[in-house]
Amino acid sequence: MTSVSVSSVGVSYGRIEILSQVSLSVGDGRWMGIIGPNGAGKSTLLRAIVGAVPHCGSITLGDTEIGNEDAKSLGRRIAYVPQRPIYPPGMSVFDFVLLGRTPHLGLLAAERAEDIAIVWESLRSLSISGFAERDVASLSGGETQRVSLARVLAQQAPVVVLDEATASLDVAAQHEVLELIAQIQHEQGVTIVSAIHDLTAAAQFCDELTLLDHGRVVAMGSPEAVLDEAILGSVFEPTIRVIEIEGSRVVVSLRSQGSRHGE
Amino acid sequence: MFKRTTLFAIALALVAASCSSSDVAGTTSTSEPATTTFSTTSTSTTTTLPPDDGFPVTVEAANGAVTIDARPERIVSISPTSTEVLFAIGAGEQVIAVDSLSNYPPEAPITELSAWTPSIEAIAEYDPDLVFISFDPGDLIVGLETLGIPVILHGTASSLEDAYAQWEQTGAATGHIAEAVDVVSDTQSRLLDAAESIANEAQGLTYYYEIEDLLYTTTSASFIGQVIALTGLSNIADEAADPDGFGYPQLSQEFIVESDPNLILLANTVYGGQSLETVAARPGWGSISAVTSGAVVELNDDIASRWSPRVVELLDAVVEAVSSLPTADA
Amino acid sequence: MNAGRPSGLRLPWWWIGGAALLLVVTVIAGAMIGPASISPWGIISSTLSRIPFLNVQSSLDTRADDIVWQIRMPRVVLGVLVGSMLSVAGSAYQGVFRNPLADPYLLGAGAGAGLGATLAIAYGPDASGWFIDPLPLAAFLGAIVGVVLAYVLGYTVRSGRTAVTLILAGVAVAAFLTALQTFLQQRESDTLREVYGWILGSLTTAGWSEVRLVLPYVVVCSAVLVAFRRLLDVMSVGDSEASTLGLRPSRVRLLLIGFATLGTAAVVAVSGLIGFVGIIVPHTVRLLTSASYRIIVPLSLLIGGSFLVLADIVARTVQSPAEIPIGVVTALVGAPFFAVVLRRSKAVVS
Repeated sequence: MTSVSVSSVGVSYGRIEILSQVSLSVGDGRWMGIIGPNGAGKSTLLRAIVGAVPHCGSITLGDTEIGNEDAKSLGRRIAYVPQRPIYPPGMSVFDFVLLGRTPHLGLLAAERAEDIAIVWESLRSLSISGFAERDVASLSGGETQRVSLARVLAQQAPVVVLDEATASLDVAAQHEVLELIAQIQHEQGVTIVSAIHDLTAAAQFCDELTLLDHGRVVAMGSPEAVLDEAILGSVFEPTIRVIEIEGSRVVVSLRSQGSRHGE
Repeated sequence: MFKRTTLFAIALALVAASCSSSDVAGTTSTSEPATTTFSTTSTSTTTTLPPDDGFPVTVEAANGAVTIDARPERIVSISPTSTEVLFAIGAGEQVIAVDSLSNYPPEAPITELSAWTPSIEAIAEYDPDLVFISFDPGDLIVGLETLGIPVILHGTASSLEDAYAQWEQTGAATGHIAEAVDVVSDTQSRLLDAAESIANEAQGLTYYYEIEDLLYTTTSASFIGQVIALTGLSNIADEAADPDGFGYPQLSQEFIVESDPNLILLANTVYGGQSLETVAARPGWGSISAVTSGAVVELNDDIASRWSPRVVELLDAVVEAVSSLPTADA
Repeated sequence: MNAGRPSGLRLPWWWIGGAALLLVVTVIAGAMIGPASISPWGIISSTLSRIPFLNVQSSLDTRADDIVWQIRMPRVVLGVLVGSMLSVAGSAYQGVFRNPLADPYLLGAGAGAGLGATLAIAYGPDASGWFIDPLPLAAFLGAIVGVVLAYVLGYTVRSGRTAVTLILAGVAVAAFLTALQTFLQQRESDTLREVYGWILGSLTTAGWSEVRLVLPYVVVCSAVLVAFRRLLDVMSVGDSEASTLGLRPSRVRLLLIGFATLGTAAVVAVSGLIGFVGIIVPHTVRLLTSASYRIIVPLSLLIGGSFLVLADIVARTVQSPAEIPIGVVTALVGAPFFAVVLRRSKAVVS
């Protein structure tokens, strides 16, 4: 049972401030979507939460400050898929998913039968046990996302941090992957923090949204509250429109009148 | 113009003459220096000496015909061998600078000039009228000739005859031909005397000649191998196929031990720090005849790597070791 | 139903068995073949005579016995140690840097050892009466200093401590040390031949003392690298992911580089810079079996030893009784063999 709490977090590279005074909290078992334009600091925030970049301020999982945990126990509590994961050529899907067991093993220990069983379980629940022996580097975009999610499952961490899990997928594949994440959220009861660029998808899948711009929180709350034309218009572009289809918010950007004349 | 052509024709005639009697070249002292020919194994040499001081003179060195217009008075040698030869034939007074490795004779004007990475500018700064080198790492000869400085290239001697020819060329180029011829004949007779003094003892004896303790050696094809071969000693490395054709193979350790040489000649004592003790301490070497009888000869590295008249000292050391060997029982 | 690892990912037993057998066969071949003509039976009887209670009489005379046991055997054993260490270290470097071109000399171990050796040859005191030879010691220290310099430089770079900055630091340090070494070598040109002979790498004068010198390093370092082989797989997904999988990538890297360097420095100190082994062997294993370091590391250990002993047999027999530098053989034999493996393999190297 783990909630995530970020309070007054700042990250800078040298004199350049990437994040400043970011505070947010994600309840246990909830899905928090981090939205915002390119360069808003979404990835940096996620990397700070998983302890991969130094930060000021405080980030806690449950009631433990992440800075006080060693790498291994942190690895057991939080799983992470970066925006562009490295799929080492020649490594099998099975071995890749098996890496998720790393925080559960001693430095010199070999995997136990239990770890092997967990990997099979994870592969099955994402319907990819059929290509356990395939080379991870040879998979399609949708397949690699499943493989990464399987590794997250195998890691058995109560908090999952996903950076743009669907960035390079077509509409159908994107939807499929998001459904899988939702399934993991509900079946395993994990807390999810994910950066997501598709605002319409964010509205449908996330429980809450945080809108970042220039490293600061602009808005936070339910998708209905955050996906507001005025708020989005101030951050993205004034032509943005929010419409409602079958009870769900759809965000589109209209072409301005002026640029249509040229055609 | 006409005169030059005539001279050239005479030179050609002399070349022809030298070819027909090449075995004579360098092996007998000539009473008539003006017609001496000097040949190396690779090139034949013609020296044309007008009756006065002998200059201008043309020598056919390894880098081709080199003409020296007048008796050189500012010689730079960046070859330790050439330095020794120049002093041996009495041209030492004309030498103004030698390279940093030219440590013999002691009176040689040693400088910081490098023989391995020679600098054209540094050499030119001495304003030399003749330069001796033993190898050209690149464009040294071309560079110096562009500056109008004659260069004589005397590379590692491939045989005694080659060395003698180099010495005589050095004599001709510096105005000391008579002395050079004397040094050659003196060296010849001393080498032969030394070799003959042990002709009986050396029969059937073998030797291993070490250049470097990674077991680089030399065969009888090299200059030094030919000198030692005069004594009748046989070289264990002659069995070795010579990979680079220069007569300097690297031997297998077990081959050396199995060959059981009667003598071990170390040419890596000064810089390589080898001695009877270090050789005896090598695994498996303790039972080699040369080690058990103490016939490990510590040669002077410098003499061993040069082809100067001091080669006599080197052969003397070998001869001494052979004659002090216990009389062979086998 | 799916109880164990997928069968295709399990290394068939005959790979380990075959590699171990190959090692045994090459060691025996190394003991039997040499420029000195000694009969195989003589060698066998001499070997058996050394086993107590068998009461076998050696048929070799003292000199032949010395040749086999003081010269040939230590050379074969040293070949195994050097080949195994360089191959394991090479596989560790490739894993740690996620770079197929990494070899044990990448971070300046080779350049540092070369500089150390040159210093010892050119300026070392006359050590003929010494208990220890300063040359391997200087080469060992030079290798360690080179890698430490690269490491310190790479980890004080302000843009971040990544594998790439470390490699770049290694390139800079290696270039600097090599330049320094070349400069000294040219200044002290009378040592040129000895320095070159050392740099080319050689097992020519190996004895038991060299074996004793490197054995502890090779055993400890390769044992550590084999024990940590699973971490190399984790490192292959990159630093940020590895860190969220519960590792400290920079610490793991330091640990693995440390032991790979220590072992490399020890073998380089006695054998000189034998090239190619650290790249060819791990890649051949990878192309023939699996991309997992759990398999590559232990197999490289076994096959690396065999490869170098084979290369050494070639080095001392082709032009017997003259030798060819072993570095020339590893490249001449190893590179074409590697090319064939590369062409035939379906696996991708990127």
